[in-house]
This record gives sequence, structure tokens and C-alpha cells, in this order.
Amino acid sequence: MRQVSPSLDKLLENPRLWRGHSQRHATSGLASGYERLDRHLPGGGWPQQALTEILIEQYGIGELRLLIPALARLSAEDPIANCADPGWIAWVAPPFQPYPPALQQSGINLSRILLVRPKNDSEVLWCAEQALSSGACAAVLLWSNTLDDQASRRLQLAAEKGQSWAIAFRPLAARTEPSAAALRIELQPGERGTRLSILKSRGGRPAVLHDVL
Amino acid sequence: MPSASKSPATEREIAPTPAALGARPAKRLQAPQTLQCALPLTAPTLPQRMLTPTTAWRLWFCIYLPNLPLEASGSMHDVSEDGRVVVEEQQGIHRVLLADAKAQAAGIQPGQSANAALALKSTLRLEERSQLREQQALESLAAWLEQFTSVVCIAGSDVVLLEIAGSLRLYGGLQSLRQQIAAGLRQQGFDASLAIAPTPLGSTWLARGGRRSCIREAENLAAALRTLPLACLDWPAALCESLTGMGIDSIGDCVRLPREGFARRFGARRLLELDRALGRLPDPRTGWRSAERFCADYEMTEEQSDCELLLTICRELLQSLEQFLLVRQLGTQHVRFNFFHLKSPATSLSLRCAAADRSVDHWFDLLRIRFERLTLPEPVISVRLYGGGTQALQAETGRLAFHGMATRHERQYSIAQLAERIAARIGTQSVQGITTVAEHRPHSAWRLQSKLCDKVVGASSMVKRSMIKRGLQRPLWLLPEPALLPAEQGLPLHQGRLTLLEGPERLETGWWDEDGIARDYYTAVNPRGVHLWVFRNRNRTPVWYLHGIFG
Repeated sequence: MRQVSPSLDKLLENPRLWRGHSQRHATSGLASGYERLDRHLPGGGWPQQALTEILIEQYGIGELRLLIPALARLSAEDPIANCADPGWIAWVAPPFQPYPPALQQSGINLSRILLVRPKNDSEVLWCAEQALSSGACAAVLLWSNTLDDQASRRLQLAAEKGQSWAIAFRPLAARTEPSAAALRIELQPGERGTRLSILKSRGGRPAVLHDVL
Repeated sequence: MPSASKSPATEREIAPTPAALGARPAKRLQAPQTLQCALPLTAPTLPQRMLTPTTAWRLWFCIYLPNLPLEASGSMHDVSEDGRVVVEEQQGIHRVLLADAKAQAAGIQPGQSANAALALKSTLRLEERSQLREQQALESLAAWLEQFTSVVCIAGSDVVLLEIAGSLRLYGGLQSLRQQIAAGLRQQGFDASLAIAPTPLGSTWLARGGRRSCIREAENLAAALRTLPLACLDWPAALCESLTGMGIDSIGDCVRLPREGFARRFGARRLLELDRALGRLPDPRTGWRSAERFCADYEMTEEQSDCELLLTICRELLQSLEQFLLVRQLGTQHVRFNFFHLKSPATSLSLRCAAADRSVDHWFDLLRIRFERLTLPEPVISVRLYGGGTQALQAETGRLAFHGMATRHERQYSIAQLAERIAARIGTQSVQGITTVAEHRPHSAWRLQSKLCDKVVGASSMVKRSMIKRGLQRPLWLLPEPALLPAEQGLPLHQGRLTLLEGPERLETGWWDEDGIARDYYTAVNPRGVHLWVFRNRNRTPVWYLHGIFG
């Protein structure tokens, strides 16, 4: 029989304590459309109802292309599974103008896109949280330079509440900061195309993939 | 002129008018001025439709408010310890019109002079009767009652009549409707006497008589009215006195009198009233309608700056707006609050929502978001709420929950709410959708779409997918304006020399307006692996520009 000290019991009751085995594992992820990446993600795809962080040095190295197949599937009208309604995709504070003809070309349903342009960074978090917890959005993309640990936790909770997928784009400098995200991916340009590093994956293992895109 | 013999049912009720009387020369009858209106001298036959409840059946619900002066003079919530009375000036003397229970317990009776009442209880609260306030109370009650039926009539200074025959099924029958109205009246602090009868006057008299009667069939009406005392009729006191002097104490006695003589002595109008109450003559009523635009005020006794208190007041105003819209089956897309201050000009706060709505919670939610950021220049003395233009609400059918998944409608609704919430905080222009436009010029091939218009449901994009050729790559990010790129040996530079991957794609169009372009577009990649969309102007001096990033 295992001896459990009362002080340990007390510690275990603390809600701030994070225990790996108590987290429920995503049974199935959302297929990313890139087979090599899917093999490295637990559940075979993007973790749903959770926060995904993408750390990039600069825009244009494939950070959107990585997400587009999954977003297209979320927003597409599926006549067969008619009970599943296509979800909305909110873009909170995008750095440039998402270009509709290109989005349409990639198969994204434009009528399901909501562009939100807050004036400052604190509003980015507020808008993203609202969009995530409303239950209306299947995915919420947000661009922020000032996301901190607490903010990422809030986004994670909002994503769980609204059963939505949160994707935060952050600068590379944030890689040393703690985060509550279920998945953290770093994208860097390399000799053999863009290098994708999985920094943290809940229920999975870190990995480095070359030339996925 | 219908003859009495045709209505054997009424013959027993009404004193048998001698046939000879009806046939008599009209000279004698026309002489007195009392018969101004053409009133049948014989009892008119009951219109057939009154007798057969199947066709055009009417049922009148009367609400008689005997204590209205007392109820309108002050809020029922501030219960004073020592009793209240309403006084009215009669021939130069203030006399007690009505006394509440506590005052009555002290021995104060209506009709006493105010001084006598004060002598009985010195701490009594006297209030002057205000007929304006009574009228306002009656109208607000009528507005509330409009939810039950479309025909609400204010009859006199203390009676509201409802025609409820058409509402019975909706409200689950007479008993349930009556209970709902009675409960609502109690909640609003009215002490009412209710009666239901097939004629408006009949129900009024029954209510005045304090009979909680509910008569559905026209045949039973006469019997119920017969026993009512004369005091229920609201006739002048002198008339009632002379009738009493003749030994006539009830409506039944009046009805039994010879019609001709009754009309001559007491006026044709009284006979007409009797006929109408009994349903022998039609009694058309004009329905009362409240104002079509909502506007309500909340006056405070002193200036307030407490946000929570102001929000509570706003919520109350929104509740009355909801009630107003509910009875009309309407919704509104726009409301405006005005906060009035003593010195500064009023602060205005407008709220908009995507779809016409009336629910308090929805508006209050938006208000709270806006209120957090509102700075009031000084404390508020009164709040006014204006309702915007109204529109009919579309009824939605319920759904069967088969899969436990959000249906299309539910999701549309919540995206509309989400857009409103965000717009309420960061501005309407900050929440938008996008769509494509059939246009070759890259910067005009798309446009923003307001997400706060009436129709949030995604308008399908104008360009069919087939119109975009698969081969032509477009970048996911577009720069707001093309950025000038330096060039070296004919190749553009962006964090190093660019390598052209694809192109050129020549776009030369728009010559018909000022915005014409002549460009060669290329897909390029810079040494850091960023894919760019660049173009070269086809001028004499070619210049490179960056227009998009492939993301």
C-alpha cells in the first residue's frame, strides 16, 4: 500500500498544480493537410479546443500556408455531413490585408471570415477571447507581440469553453517565455526550405521537420 | 322598427310595451327634447349574432380600479407607517376622497374634511388628487394590457375594457387569462375588480358592483345584471335619488319600467345605455393605441454618478422597451440613451445591433460594454431611452435536437452577437467581412463587407470559383499600397536579391478610368525564404514594387 503524506495530498488539491497524466488527450486532431506534420502531432493533427502558438521571425515564410488546408476544411460547406455547420474564422489584428482572391483559391469560404482590427494590443486579447468563447468561431487567428503567460492561459480556457481552435502568431523572442498553449511551433527559414520545430506538444514529443511546406 | 313580438325572450325582461303605444302618432313622442336620438320605443330585438355564440362572438373583460386615485398618487412601494389619504377640493373644502387601510383603521372615512381626518390622526399623509397622474397610470396600464388583446379601451376615468374572445385560446382559456391579468395587476399595485360579460357596459356594471362574475353566454347576462344596484351605473346622483324615491333599486327594476316613460323622464341616453348593456343594441368602442415610438424617462431625485446604479436604471428602461416591443411583435435595431446633467449638455449613447431585437439581456450586454468606456462629465440627474425605428420580428420555428450540434441558425445568431459585442467596444468599422469582386486589378479584386448590416448571413462571394484560374498564384497577404523596391542589375532587392520563380503575368487593364495599370507580376523568393509577389511597371523606366506576401 502506498503511503501518501498529508502534505502531498494538500499540494495535489492545489488547482494551480498541472499534472501531465490528468490532462485529457485529444483523441483526434484536425488533419493539417501535411502528412509528415500530422505524424508528429498527437491525435494526428492540430489539437482542437486548444491554443496553438506559431513563432515566426518574419511573415511570408509559410505560416499561413501551414494552416490553410485545415482552415479550408473548417469553413467548407459539407453537403454530406449537413448537421455540421461550417464554422467562422476570425482574424484578429492581421498584420496585412488577407487577400480574398488568394483565400478563395485555397478553398476557404470567404463568407465565413470575420476580420477584426482592434486599435491596441490589449484589445486584441479581449476580441480574441470573445471570439473564442462565443462558440461561433471554429478558429480564431490572432497576431500579438505582447502575449504573456497569463494571456495564453486565458486564450486556452476560452478555446476550451467555446470549443474553438485558437492560433496565436508570436515573435521568435517569445520562445523562452512560458505558455499554456497545447502546441508551440517555431518556423524558421533554412537551407532546405522552411524548418518547422515542434517546441511543445501536449501528449507528444518535440521534433524538427525540414521542408514540410 | 322591429316589433316586440319578435323577441319573446326579451318580452319578459322588458315591460310589455303596448302595441298601441308603438302605433300611436309620433307627435306626443317628438315633443320633448329628451328624444333627440332615434331610439326604438319598443325593445329592439337582440341581434341574431349576439344570441349565437358561433359567429362574431365578443367577450369583454372589465378592469375597474376603485382605488386608482390612491394608487396613482404615490408608489405602492413606499409604505408609510401612518396611512395615506387622497384629498380633493369640493366647494372650497378639502375632503377625503379615498383612504388606505391604515387610515381607515384610524376611523377616517371618505367624505370627511381633511381637517377632520387630521384630527383623527395627525401623522396622516395627505395627497392632492391628480387626475393627470391617474390618466397616466391608466394609460400605462392599458399599454401593459395590450399584450393580451388588440382591443383595449379606456372607458372613463377608472375603467379599462379588453375584448378577449380572440385571445382565449392563446392564453389557455378564460380562467388562465384572468389569472394572468389579475396577477399582473396585483404586481403593479392595482386593486382591481374584474368582470367578464358579452357586452362592454354589462361587464363594467358587473365590475362596479363588485361581482366577480364571468358570463360567457348572452342569455345569462340579463339575469346577472338584473340584481345589480343602481350605484353600479355611474349615473348622476340626482337621477339615482329620484329613481330610488320611486322605489326602483336595481337595474332589473329600471328595465321593467315602460320604455317610453323612462326615456321621457330620465333621458333617452339612459335607455340607450340599458339597451347596450343588455346587448340589444350594438355598442361600438374605439380601441386605445399607445404611442408607436418608444421614449421613456427615469427622473432621479438627486444627482447620481454610481455606474452600477445607472446601469440598473438603464436596465429598467430597457425592460419597459421590451414590453413595448413585445405587445407589438416588433424589434428594433437601434436604441439611444441620453444621460442628462444639471450643467453640461446631455451625454448620448447609441447602441446598434445586427438584427432587430428586443430582449433586455441582449441590449444590456451591449450597453455594459459601452458603458465601461463612457466618461460622464458630471453626475446624472435623469436618463431617457429612445427606441429606434421598429421592424417586425421574424418568427423562428424551434428545432429538434437530434445531434446536439449547433444548427446553422444558432451559429448565425451568435456570430451576429459576437460582431455586435466587438463593434460595441472597438467601433463598427473594426469588424468586417471580406469578399471578392470580379476585377482583374489586384487591388480592386476584393472589398470589405460590413458585418453589422441587416443580413449577416454570408452573402456568397460574387466571383465564382471557376473565374479564378488555377495557375495564377495570388498571395495570401496583400500590402495596403505597393511598396517601392530598390533594384540591382535589373533585379529587385528585399532583404537581399530576389530570385524570380514564376512570371511574368501581365496585367494591363483599367485604361478606361484613372486607375489603369500596366504591370508584369512575378512570384519571387528572397534569400531568407520569404515568397513575395512583386511587379514591374511597364513604363519607360521600369520600377519594381512589392505588392504581396505569400504567407
